Amino acid sequence: MALDLQDMADFLKQTPPFDALDNARFDYALDHAEAVYVNQHNREEILREGHPTLYVVRSGTYDLTDKHGKFIERLETGDVFGFPALLSGRTITNQIEVLADGILFCWDAATFAYLRRYSEPFERYFMQAQERRLLVEHRGEDSTPDWTERDIGSVISRPLISIGSDTSIQQAAISMSENKVSSLLVVDEGHLRGIITDRDIRNRVVAKGMDYGVAVTAVMTQMPEAVYTRQSLFDALTMMNQANIHHLPVLDDEERPVGMITTTDLMKQQRSEPVFLMNALFKAQSREALVEEAQNIPHYLRTFATRVKDIGMVGRLLASLTDGMTRKLIRLYEHEHGAAPVAYAWMAFGSQAREDQTLSSDQDNGLLLADGVKEGQREYFHKLAEFVCTGLADCGIRLCPGDVMAMNPKWNKTSLEWQQQIKKWVQSPTPDAIMHSMIFFDSRMIAGNQQLYRRHREAIGKIAQRDIFLGNIGRHIGELNVPLGLFNRLRTKSEKGGDYIDIKTQGVAVINDIVRLYSLIEGLTMPATPARLQALQSHKLLTAKDNQNLLEAWQFLTQLRLSHQLRLQGDSTEPVNSIDPETLSTLQRRQLKAAFSVIKDAQQGVGFKVGRGL
Amino acid sequence: MLISLLDKLGQLGQGMQSNIINSDGRERQASLQGAWQQARYVALDLETDGLDPEQHRILAIGWVPLKVPRIALNAADYGVIQSDQPLSQSAVIHQLSEHDIQGGEALAKVLKRLAKSLDGAVLVAHHAGFDWQFLQRAFSQQGIACKPLALMDTLKLEQTRLQRQKDWLEKGELTLAACRQRYGLPPVRQHHALSDAVACAELFLAQAYKIVGSQKTSLKGLLRYSR
Repeated sequence: MALDLQDMADFLKQTPPFDALDNARFDYALDHAEAVYVNQHNREEILREGHPTLYVVRSGTYDLTDKHGKFIERLETGDVFGFPALLSGRTITNQIEVLADGILFCWDAATFAYLRRYSEPFERYFMQAQERRLLVEHRGEDSTPDWTERDIGSVISRPLISIGSDTSIQQAAISMSENKVSSLLVVDEGHLRGIITDRDIRNRVVAKGMDYGVAVTAVMTQMPEAVYTRQSLFDALTMMNQANIHHLPVLDDEERPVGMITTTDLMKQQRSEPVFLMNALFKAQSREALVEEAQNIPHYLRTFATRVKDIGMVGRLLASLTDGMTRKLIRLYEHEHGAAPVAYAWMAFGSQAREDQTLSSDQDNGLLLADGVKEGQREYFHKLAEFVCTGLADCGIRLCPGDVMAMNPKWNKTSLEWQQQIKKWVQSPTPDAIMHSMIFFDSRMIAGNQQLYRRHREAIGKIAQRDIFLGNIGRHIGELNVPLGLFNRLRTKSEKGGDYIDIKTQGVAVINDIVRLYSLIEGLTMPATPARLQALQSHKLLTAKDNQNLLEAWQFLTQLRLSHQLRLQGDSTEPVNSIDPETLSTLQRRQLKAAFSVIKDAQQGVGFKVGRGL
Repeated sequence: MLISLLDKLGQLGQGMQSNIINSDGRERQASLQGAWQQARYVALDLETDGLDPEQHRILAIGWVPLKVPRIALNAADYGVIQSDQPLSQSAVIHQLSEHDIQGGEALAKVLKRLAKSLDGAVLVAHHAGFDWQFLQRAFSQQGIACKPLALMDTLKLEQTRLQRQKDWLEKGELTLAACRQRYGLPPVRQHHALSDAVACAELFLAQAYKIVGSQKTSLKGLLRYSR
């Protein structure tokens, strides 16, 4: 008999997962409920009683925190909590902060178990909620963000200084000196047309003896790279480094220019290591000087990692630094041996391309040459490649054991040769071919001719869109080993005298593989896994939820790997990509399981979507 | 309950100097002297077909035990009292139909269950004096013994608290709904004995914590606010 608690029934009928219970279970839930009044004075004694309890917020506002007081979730009317302890049988460690007193409905473990046993939707709700919770629970919200995480909009203080495109070069120079700036935006009717810097005036006007009366359009940089006010300073920093520029126009959400951000602005923010480090790398005048500066990178990264909330930024920073060193080495080589005889593009592959590089990542790169290159001209590029690859190795980015490097003639080809190579991989997908193509399809241009690279990347993207090839990749993914055994147990492997799980090969790489496959199907050319997932949001291959889960699993695993590596000392014999689950906290272990179960689901999803029709 | 008509009933509660009903025995004394959280409470509400215990009758009783800060919804109880007499105009308010009443339980049966729960506990109700007068009369008519420890009146608690803040109370400020709103408690279906009993239980907890805060207070001390 369910009592006539109409208000409670009305409320619960609208509250998942109770809304999914059939009438009999719903009445059972009503019959077995308690209510508790929670405020700042009694919250501790309530949770201290220690019985795992399922709570539903009827009224009031609370913040769920972990035992260190780290924010996990804001709880308001209709929110459900308390289930992690119920599901795991472990002691309750989370706490609540009471923002507004109120009523919680509660159910004891026996009732919770009964409802789970007899209602599948109820059970499913908590399994999924548990996974979601686990993946977000590690993320702290309370630490003050590092300066690099601040909005660009928050640091541009100067009003926009701009000129129209019909302004003469001399007028532009006058405007620069009056405003004491080294660059101007060229803006027509609120649209950004270009940017002109004092260097442009020196190099393109004075040095060439050009007439000062000519309009700035003749010498400005058209359609320059730009950033948006909502992006972080770190984004500005990476873009400056990647494009090798010191001035970036800043646009608002409607693409209207609102100002300029410069390397000087970034340096003013703080005595910031990344900026200084990048500048030191830029300024190195010789290979030796570059190598010497590069020795500081691991130390910089460690201190940087302790300050940023999003440790994934370390991967981006390291990729950005590798980009910068690569460019510097290329420039040093060009300085000594003259400009390249034909157009080319230096491509980064793998983790550098995806910007999830770690301290243990080796180099993966290649060269793309314009089709007209003559045999005698190839020598220039082989020597360039050797100079850059060994230079990077001396800078701490070790040589690729699999020889995926521009100094290997197999990874130093013209666009047509590359296309033939890829066609071969696509047509006869041996395991080696699949592995190589996977490396190749995560690519990013580091230096050289942008147009050459873009055309090439689109061409090979089309070659890859063959069902049989994609099907083979799908099958390959299906065969990858996710270390989750029966009853959701973590499966470890003995390695170097310990029991480890390889979170790179069995975790991060599997997600990368899955996301790359979907990107190939959809013809997406960007290499970074988070960016690909974001782009995939507008496609149907992944549901919004699966997309989000994969992203969270990827973030969790990459962060876990990075923090593990940052903790390892230089002389440690521990494996760099493997983790002994016993060394993790209970929470991290549960998160690890959740991440692997997300991967396992996604792996099965690939089987359904790509395996079919073969 | 017919809160909006309470102004007319002011005299009903006034005869009571103390809100302690029966404190005989060591156990009850210990309860009174002990921390307010340790006492046993039963929040209750009646639906009646009029305001005068001499001539009107109880139509329904809803009650729920409290063990601070918990409300034992799973031990809540509700009984509609069987009667073949036609309903008066009060039906507009309590919304019980003659059909409900005809299919109800015997008054004695419901009262026996209530007595079991209420004996030795603190009766919590909104305008508790009113409910207690009806109950006293019904218990004695049915020859059932029931001695709660004390009466905790959420209306009086609110009155005490508000009067400390201002000299003048507006009409309607002390209704159950208005009181609940003051503590951010969600609106509930009114004039259903069990809903109102649960609503009153929630209100009591909110009030008590507001009054007491983290100070150590005995039941006796808290009862002083309810006189």
